[in-house]
Amino acid sequence: MLARIAGLFERYGVIVAFLVLLVWNAVFAESAADFRRPENLRNILNQNAATGIVAVGMTLVIVAGGIDLAVGSVMALCGAVALVVANALALRGFGETSCVIAGLFAGLATGIACGTVNGLLVTLGRLPAFIATLGGLVGYRSITLALADAGEIRAAKTDLLGAIGRGGIPVIPSTWMESGRTLTFTWNIILFFVVAIVGQVLLSRTRYGRHLVAVGGNETAARYSAVAVDRVRLIAFVLVGLCSAIAGLMQTARMASVSSSQLGLQMELDAIAAVVIGGTSMAGGKGRIWGTVLGLLILAIINNMLVMSAVSSHWHGAVKGMIIVLAVLIQRSRRA
Amino acid sequence: MHDGTTSPGTGATFSVALEVRDLVKSFPGTRALDGVSLAFRRGEIHGIIGENGAGKSTLMKILAGVQPPDSGEVFIDGVCVHLRSVRDALDRGVAMIHQELNLVGDLSAAENIALGREPNRFGFVARRTMLRDARAALSEVGATFSPSLRVNDLSIAAQQLVEIAKALACDARFLIMDEPTAVLSERETTALFALIKRLAARGVTIAYISHLLPEVLALSNRISVLRDGKLVSTVIPSDVDESRLAGLMVGRALADIFPPRAAPPRASPLLEIRNLRVGAAVRDVSFTVASGEIVGLAGLVGSGRTETAEAIVGLRPRDSGTILLSGKAVRFRGPRAALEAGIAYVSEDRKARGVHLAMSCVENVTIPHLKAFGRVFPDRRRERATADTWIARLAIRCPNPRAPIRTLSGGNQQKFAVAKWLDALPKDRPRVILLDEPTRGIDLGAKLQMYRLIADLAAQGLACVLISSELPELIGLCHRIVVLRAGEVAGTVDGDSATEESVMRLAAGVGTRRVGNEFGRTG
Repeated sequence: MLARIAGLFERYGVIVAFLVLLVWNAVFAESAADFRRPENLRNILNQNAATGIVAVGMTLVIVAGGIDLAVGSVMALCGAVALVVANALALRGFGETSCVIAGLFAGLATGIACGTVNGLLVTLGRLPAFIATLGGLVGYRSITLALADAGEIRAAKTDLLGAIGRGGIPVIPSTWMESGRTLTFTWNIILFFVVAIVGQVLLSRTRYGRHLVAVGGNETAARYSAVAVDRVRLIAFVLVGLCSAIAGLMQTARMASVSSSQLGLQMELDAIAAVVIGGTSMAGGKGRIWGTVLGLLILAIINNMLVMSAVSSHWHGAVKGMIIVLAVLIQRSRRA
Repeated sequence: MHDGTTSPGTGATFSVALEVRDLVKSFPGTRALDGVSLAFRRGEIHGIIGENGAGKSTLMKILAGVQPPDSGEVFIDGVCVHLRSVRDALDRGVAMIHQELNLVGDLSAAENIALGREPNRFGFVARRTMLRDARAALSEVGATFSPSLRVNDLSIAAQQLVEIAKALACDARFLIMDEPTAVLSERETTALFALIKRLAARGVTIAYISHLLPEVLALSNRISVLRDGKLVSTVIPSDVDESRLAGLMVGRALADIFPPRAAPPRASPLLEIRNLRVGAAVRDVSFTVASGEIVGLAGLVGSGRTETAEAIVGLRPRDSGTILLSGKAVRFRGPRAALEAGIAYVSEDRKARGVHLAMSCVENVTIPHLKAFGRVFPDRRRERATADTWIARLAIRCPNPRAPIRTLSGGNQQKFAVAKWLDALPKDRPRVILLDEPTRGIDLGAKLQMYRLIADLAAQGLACVLISSELPELIGLCHRIVVLRAGEVAGTVDGDSATEESVMRLAAGVGTRRVGNEFGRTG
C-alpha cells in the first residue's frame, strides 16, 4: 500500500506540487489577491510561453536520450535572420505583409536547419548530443552576434509584427473584468498551448512517439527491433529546432527587435529545468509533455511569488535551484 | 536431503565456518530462495550448482552482503549476523569474486588491493607501505607481476589474482567465487585450481559456483544442488557423476525434454550463406537452411555465431560473401529490410537487445512493425488484441499486458521477444527465423515450451536457425548442426547422430574440458 502511494506520488507528484503552489498563492498567501488577478495569471503565461514552447521540444529530445543546449542560441539566430530578411525586403520596397511572412519563413527555416545540423552531428557524426549542441550553443550565438554586430536588430516596419507579438484573442469580456478591460490571450500563449497539445499527442499517441521512447529507453534494443534509430533522433532535433524557431520568432515579434546577446540567453537551462521537474527522465525513454508544462508553471509561479515578495532578486536563482533538485529527488526516491 | 550440519555418512562433526538457515528471498513474480539451509565447513571447497534461476546467485549475494534476505539467518563462526552491505560482509571475512571483476581499471594493482583501506601517513597515502603490502598479498596468491602495474594492462587471469589478493588482504576467510573459470584459459584454470586448494588447506572456506560439472566434480569437497530456490541435495563428488548431478539440477530425466524430431524436409534451401566474411569475427562461413528445417549453429564464445546472424539481417556490414534468399542474392541495410524480405533475428542478450524493459508487453510485441497498426496513430486496441493472441498462443504468463515487460520472468520476456518477430514476419512469403540463445537465462518450464515452439515453427514451414551454447538443446532439436570455430565452419554433424563430444571436438579443434552438460550456463 505504501509502495503504491509512493508510486502514485512519483508519477503524479508534480500535479500535487502544482496545485499546492497554485492554491497557496491564490488563497492563503499575503499577496493572494494580486496573484489571482486574471491579468497576473495571463502575464505569467505570456512571460513563460516561449520557454514553454522550447521545453516541449526539449522534452522530445530528452525522451529520445539526447539533449539540446543550443535552443537559446537558435532562438536568437532565427529572430535575427527573420529581421534581416524582412528588413532587406523592406528596403527593396516590398509590402509589410510580404516582408513579415518572408521573415517568419526564413526564421523557421533557420530553426529547422540548425536542428538538422545538430541532429546530423549526433546521428551521422556519432557525437554525444551534449557536445554537438554545446557547439551549437556557442556557434549559433556567435553567428547572431556577427549578424547584429553584437548589438540589436530592429524591425524596419513594426505594425504587423507588433500585432503578432502583442495581439491575441479575447478570452474574458470587459464586463466581467474588475479592471473593465478585455483580457486577451496573446498569440504567444495560444501557440504554447497548441505546441504543447501537439507535443503530447505526438509523444503518447503516434508511432513516432513510440519510437522516441524506444530509442531513448534502449537504443540498441530499438536498433535490433527494426526501428530506424538515426532517423528518429534526427527528427527529434529538427523538432526542437522548429520549437526554438517558433519561440524565438514570437519573442522577436513581441519586441519588434532582436538583441543578439540577450534573446534566448540561458533558455536551455530554463527549458531543461521544466522538463526535469515535469518528471521526464534525463536518461531518456520516459517522459511526458504535460509534466513539462506543469514543471514550467511551477517555476513560473515561484518566480512570480518571489517577484511579488520582497525577496531580493539575487536569491531567486537559489530558490529555483532548490526546487529543481528537490523535484528530481522526490520523483526518484522510490528507485533509491 | 539433510541440513548439512553433519557430514553425510560419517556423522563426524566439523567446524562450521558459515551457515545459513531457512533463507527466503522473493522478487516480484518469483521466490528466488525458498527456505535454504546450508553449512559451509571451515577449509572446504563447496561447489554450488543449479540451473539459472535456481537461486545460486541470490544465495551468494545474500552472503556477500549485496542484498538482505526476506527472512532466515546467517551465522558466521556460530554468531548470527545481519550483513548490511558488502563492506559489512567483508569486515566479517566474507568476500565475493564476481564473474565481472570489480576492479578499477585505471588504478594499479596495489591501489586496487588497498582500495578503501589505504595505509596513510599524516593524511597522505603511504605509497611504500601500500606497495609492500600489495606485494605480499600478491605473492600469497602466487602472482609474480609488479603491484604497480595498471589493472587494465593485466590479463584477465592476473586481474582475477588481484581480486583474490584483495580479498585476502582484507582477511577474508570465506571466499565466494562465481564462475571464475569462465574467462580463463585451460592453463590459467589449472593454476587457479591449485591456488584454491592451497587456500582451502590454509583454512579459507570456498563457495564455488559453476555450471561446468566436470570442474565442480574435480575441485569440490562437497557439492550442493539448488533447484527452484530450494536445496535439493548436498553430495560428495565420489558418490555421483555428471549425469546424476544434471538429473538433480533439472529434476527429471533428460530424455523427456525435447519434442520428437520431424523428418528433415526435402525442400531446396530457402536461405543460403556462401563464404560469408565479417570483420575479424567471421572469416568463411557457409551453410544452408530449408523451409521446415532447424539448423543449429554451435561454437564456443568468439566463434562468430552471433556475428554471422547479425550480418545476415544487416546489423553488421559484411566484407564479402553471398547471401541467397530463395535463390536470389540479397543484402539488407538493417533488420527492417530483412524483416520485409521474411527474415527475423531474435537477438541474444534479451535484456540489452531483445526487449525494451521499461516498455509494456503490448508495445514490445508491436514495435518491429508498428506501421501495420497505423501509419501515424497506432490503433491501441488492435495492438492489445494482437498481444493477447500471442499471450494465449505461447502460454505467456502476463497478468497485465500494459505493464512494463520487466515485471515478467525471463522466460515470459523471451516468449514476447520471439512473438514480436513471429507477428511481424510477412505471412505471404517463406519465412526464416534466426534464434540466438533463445533459452539463455530462462527457467526449465519455459525452456521446454521454447523447444516445442521451435519445433512447431519448423513444422509450419519456417526455416529455423538456432544458435545455442547448450549442446543438448542443439542435439535434441536440430536436423543439422553447423559447428563454427574461429569464424570458420569446422564441420557439420547430423542431428540424429550428433553427440556432445562430436560437436565439442569440432568446436574446440580437439577434446576439451568443456565437454559436458552445459545446462544452466550463464552470461
